[in-house]
Formats: sequence, C-alpha cells, structure tokens
Amino acid sequence: MQSFYIRYRNTQGTLMRILNAASRRALDLPVVQAEPAEHDHQVTLALDVNQKQVGQLYREWYAIADVIQVSSDQVSSGAAHTAEWTAAHPPAGVTMEESRAAARA
Amino acid sequence: MHKGADIVLQCLRAEGVELVFGYPGGAIMPLYDALEGSGVRHILTRHEQGAVFAAEGYARVTGEVGVAMATSGPGATNLVTGIADAKMDSVPLVCITGQVRSALIGTDAFQETDVFGVTLSLTKWSRLVRTLDEIPEAIAEGFHWARSGRPGPVVIDIPTDMLKAKKEFSGPVKFTPHARPADAKADGGFTDTTFTTKIAALLQQASKPVALVGAGAKLSGAIPELRRLLDDLNVPTFATVHGLGAVPPQAPYYLGMVGMHGTRAANTALHETDLLFVFGARLDDRVTGDPTRFAPHAKIVHFEIDPAQLDRVRPCEISVVGNLADTIPAFQTELRQHSLPDFSGWRAVACGAERAELDPRGLAQPTIRFLDELFSRLPQDSVVIADVGQHQMWAAQRYRSSSPRGFITSGGLGAMGFALPAAVGVQLAKPDTCVLCVSGDGGFQMNIQELATVRRLGLPVKMVIIDNKYLGMVRQWQQLFYQRNYAETDLSDNPDFVEIAKAYKIHSFRLNEDAMREFPVSNETGDEIDRFLRSPEPELLVFDCAPEANVFPMVPAGAALSEMLLEEEPTQ
Repeated sequence: MQSFYIRYRNTQGTLMRILNAASRRALDLPVVQAEPAEHDHQVTLALDVNQKQVGQLYREWYAIADVIQVSSDQVSSGAAHTAEWTAAHPPAGVTMEESRAAARA
Repeated sequence: MHKGADIVLQCLRAEGVELVFGYPGGAIMPLYDALEGSGVRHILTRHEQGAVFAAEGYARVTGEVGVAMATSGPGATNLVTGIADAKMDSVPLVCITGQVRSALIGTDAFQETDVFGVTLSLTKWSRLVRTLDEIPEAIAEGFHWARSGRPGPVVIDIPTDMLKAKKEFSGPVKFTPHARPADAKADGGFTDTTFTTKIAALLQQASKPVALVGAGAKLSGAIPELRRLLDDLNVPTFATVHGLGAVPPQAPYYLGMVGMHGTRAANTALHETDLLFVFGARLDDRVTGDPTRFAPHAKIVHFEIDPAQLDRVRPCEISVVGNLADTIPAFQTELRQHSLPDFSGWRAVACGAERAELDPRGLAQPTIRFLDELFSRLPQDSVVIADVGQHQMWAAQRYRSSSPRGFITSGGLGAMGFALPAAVGVQLAKPDTCVLCVSGDGGFQMNIQELATVRRLGLPVKMVIIDNKYLGMVRQWQQLFYQRNYAETDLSDNPDFVEIAKAYKIHSFRLNEDAMREFPVSNETGDEIDRFLRSPEPELLVFDCAPEANVFPMVPAGAALSEMLLEEEPTQ
C-alpha cells in the first residue's frame, strides 16, 4: 500500500478525474481523504499499486488541468520517504536495463 | 442586456469559430434560436455522432478547434464516441451541450443525462455552467484546454435556463492558466541543453539508429524542422498511421508505416534498432506489438509534449518534454556540431530491396490495384479520409501523401462510421480540395444518413465503398485466429449502395475486380475514375472486393513486430 498526496485546485470534476485515474485501472480506493490545504485542496489516497502503475498515475494526474503537485510515500526501496515529482521526467517503474533485458528474453 | 445564448455565440466568435456542427433539440433550442445573424454558421448533420465526427474532420484538417453542439440526454450521449475519438487522437474539440433547466438537474427529468459525469474520463476539461456569469470564462477556458499542450476534447454543458436568461455583457474574456511548479520544470526540459549532447553521444555509440514519427510531429506544426532534422540524421525512418504525410514518401530513408499492418521493412528495422528516436508518438500496442518484446535492443529517445505519454511501453533513455517546434531545432543545432558515424551500411540493409514494402503477391490484389489507381489519379494536395477496417489499412499502406494533414482516420479509437461525416467537415474546411472518403460496407452504414448532409450542402465529396460484404477486418481475424468461424460478420445481404445513393440524389456507380485484372487498367476504367475524381458534385463509387481478401503484412495481436505474417498461414 502506498500513499499519494495530490494537491489540486478544487474546480469542477478535478477530484473525480484524480480518482478516475485509479478506478480505470481497477484499483481499490480504501482511503480517500480530501481537504483544504492552504489556498488549494489536497487529496490523500492509499493505493495498492505496482511500480509501473506509480509512474502511470503520476503522469496521468499531472495531465489533469487543475492538479498542482503530486507526491507519494515511496516504500518500494525499503525505507519510506516522500518523493515529489520535481522533474519533467516522472518516476519510471523499472529501470531501462531491466526493461531491455526483459524484451530480449 | 444579452441572452445567455447570445453570449455563448459571441464568445465562440471571439475564439475564431465560424462553423459549428450540430443537431437541435429541446434543451439547446435557445442557442439555435440565436444563431441567425450571429456570424456562426451551423451545419445540420443527421445524427449527433455525424456532427461530432464532422467537427473532428474540420479540426484535423485545419488544426483549428472543431465545435459540435447537441441537446441534453440522447443528443449529448450521441457525442460520446466522437469525444473519445478526439481524446485518443489529440483532436482539439469543444462540445456544447444543452442541459435541462437548473432546477431540474438531478431529478431524472425528461432528456436529462449527467453528460459532465459521462464524459469526465474522456475529456481534457469540462464544465457544467451554473450561472450566467460563468459562460464567458467557461468558453475561454474550454478553448484554451482544447488547443493547448496535447490537444483534446472539452465539454461545456449549459442548462437551458442559462441560455434564455439575460444579463449585461461586457464582452468575451481571455483565460490565463494558473502556473504550477512542475510546468516550469517540464518546460525547462529542453532549455536544459544537456539533453542534446547526451543524444549526440548516444548517436556516436549507435550502429542501427531509426526514427519513428507520430501525430505529435504534425500537431506541433514542426514539420519543416522535423524534415530538416531527418535529412541530417539520414537514418531509416517510419511513421505511425497518424504520422503519415509528415515525412515525404520519396525520402530515400523512409520505410512507410510501422506497426500491426506496417511494412516489412519498417517493422524489421524497428525490431533490430539499437537507438530509437520517437517524435510525438505514444507507442500504443498497434505500433509496438507485444510491448514486452518491443525494440528489444534499443535505447529510446522520446520527444513528446505530453509527459503522460512517456515510459508507457518501457522507460526511455532520454525523454525530451516540450513542443517539438522548440526541441527539434535545439537538437539539430547541437547535432550539426558533430560528425555522425557512417550509417550507410545499416541504411542499405534497412532500406534495401530485400525488405520490399509489401509482399509482391499482395500487390496483385485487385483492391490494392484499385486503390493505387485511384490514389495515382488524385490531384495534388488531396485529402483522403479512411474509415476503420481493412480498407483503412490498405489505404494507409498505399496512399503516399507529402501533406501532413493529407490522410485522416480514426486511428486510436478505431471508430467505424467516422469517415463520411469527417469528410463533410474536411470538405467544408477545404472547399476547393479533392476530398476522398474511403469506407468499408460495414462502416459506411454506421453513418450513412450523412449522405443527406452531403447532398443538402452539395459538397463534392468523393465517396468510395470497398464492399466485400463482410466486416472484413473482423472476418480476417476470424479466418486467421478463430478457425474461420465467421460469427456475425457476414454482410452478404447488404443493401444496394448505388440505389441508396440515388435515393439521396447522389450520382453513383459500381466497379468490380474484373476492371482491375488488366494492368494498366483500360482507358475506359481510367477515364471513369478520372471523371469521378474531378466531378464538381458528390459521387459514390462502390468497388466490389473479393470477400476473403486480407491485409498483409500483419502482426498478430500479442506477437512481436518481428513475427509479422506476410501471407496466410494454415489455421491453427
């Protein structure tokens, strides 16, 4: 289970679009908490996702017009830490070498 | 004082809208009532799906925002397929729907549908207008999102009482998007010019580089920049179905279309490459084949405006996020400071005659000969619109356009019934251009009612039905992968399309395969095709195609690109 924090402007449908990115992947939504955060809003989601889905979700959330920032508690590397999307290139699920090796197998 | 409907139309004019496609109904009647004298021309289609596909056709050929309007309930739900199509193919589209009166929303009123909810996952942005004051802002913001970044569909749902109500109106507004931290970083992806040196270094290490061109190259308007870069790179290059026309087909390094029905040369090169440049393509499964075995030796350099499209198949070595109109010149500037390795040996193999674009037996197919004959006689800068199915892939394989917007089809969603209404939109946008609509017998019947729109407007659209009396592509799969169990794909009881067209007062005629058995075709057949293409009136040509003609090459679903079929194999 991994926690995601999505900061967004509370415009029509934005929260639904955020949730839809999870539901279209048939992910259960056991924890959804939306609340005001300073001048904006933030929704916290707990999702059972694999690493590939993490990358997809980051990108899809960021493509929503009124999403401001996406971050998560990363637990895959063993130690939990908060990872924020701070670069144009969002996090990838697997390394390039792993991926190429799988394609050649 | 202005009515809401007048405000909507004034805001549309402010966005540059001259043409809208639609179908009236109860909740949107006030908007129709205000059309006359508004400066916005309305095109009545005969079904809302026809309206949205026509708006898409207009948008695809011009690059401008297409606008469709419909009433609440069934009118709005009939737009849904077109909205999904626009999302998949990055088409700028604004749909304006009437909604039941504000007081009735949520009461399951007559013709009430939650179109905002229905389209939420299909739109880039949408708004259910709650007050009259919101209208100018909603339209300005909707057009902004439809045309910005990766273009896409927008829905603006307006309750009928908002369209009737009056208020003071000071004029349309401009929308300025809020800045967000990651935007600056995404924009900065290409200003950080280290990416150019990294790519140049990858090129130095590569021995089999290739380039793949997708729709993003066209949408960015960076075709001249892309062509200059490709000339400099001079590596084997291919295109997705939406990238066709971006690269001149006569370019010596060009290998044609890639993917499920791509050329043998393109698919083979993509499988062998060790460095893949992707320019504005999302690498969907029709392009990659089995994604786990896609370009197994390649490092990927992906130029893309939409970060959501990156790393979908597998992580890229270098992703360049930004408008190709900016990123390509930046890369080219760097590239010209380096001398590239000699790729001529690789180019000779990848582009060589041994990897001919189509199996020679395929070229003998009368339908392919017919399409070759048709396309070779088209005037320069014609636009071909293909529906969905076997004819679509034959057309994509055979039509060699140098025009970036010269081949239009529903590529991502694969929506049958697209071509005829889309051709209406294209012809209205390009009244002096030859517009050729190629459909199958299944797809043509899905929006056959738009013959009435063609006739009413006197549009000189040239319509071709490749009639094999089957849902041909499904039948082909049934033949190859379902032991010839042709379940519910037999259309042998098709109506007589020639007679149907006549009922719409559209001239029509039939050609059969016998006319294509001579090579070259007889003067009589050639003259008939020329007359058809040059007629100032709408025309329908029905080509009787062999029922079991198949499209090859074909990469079976789930197979790698290297496992393409070049001819029929025994049923397993």
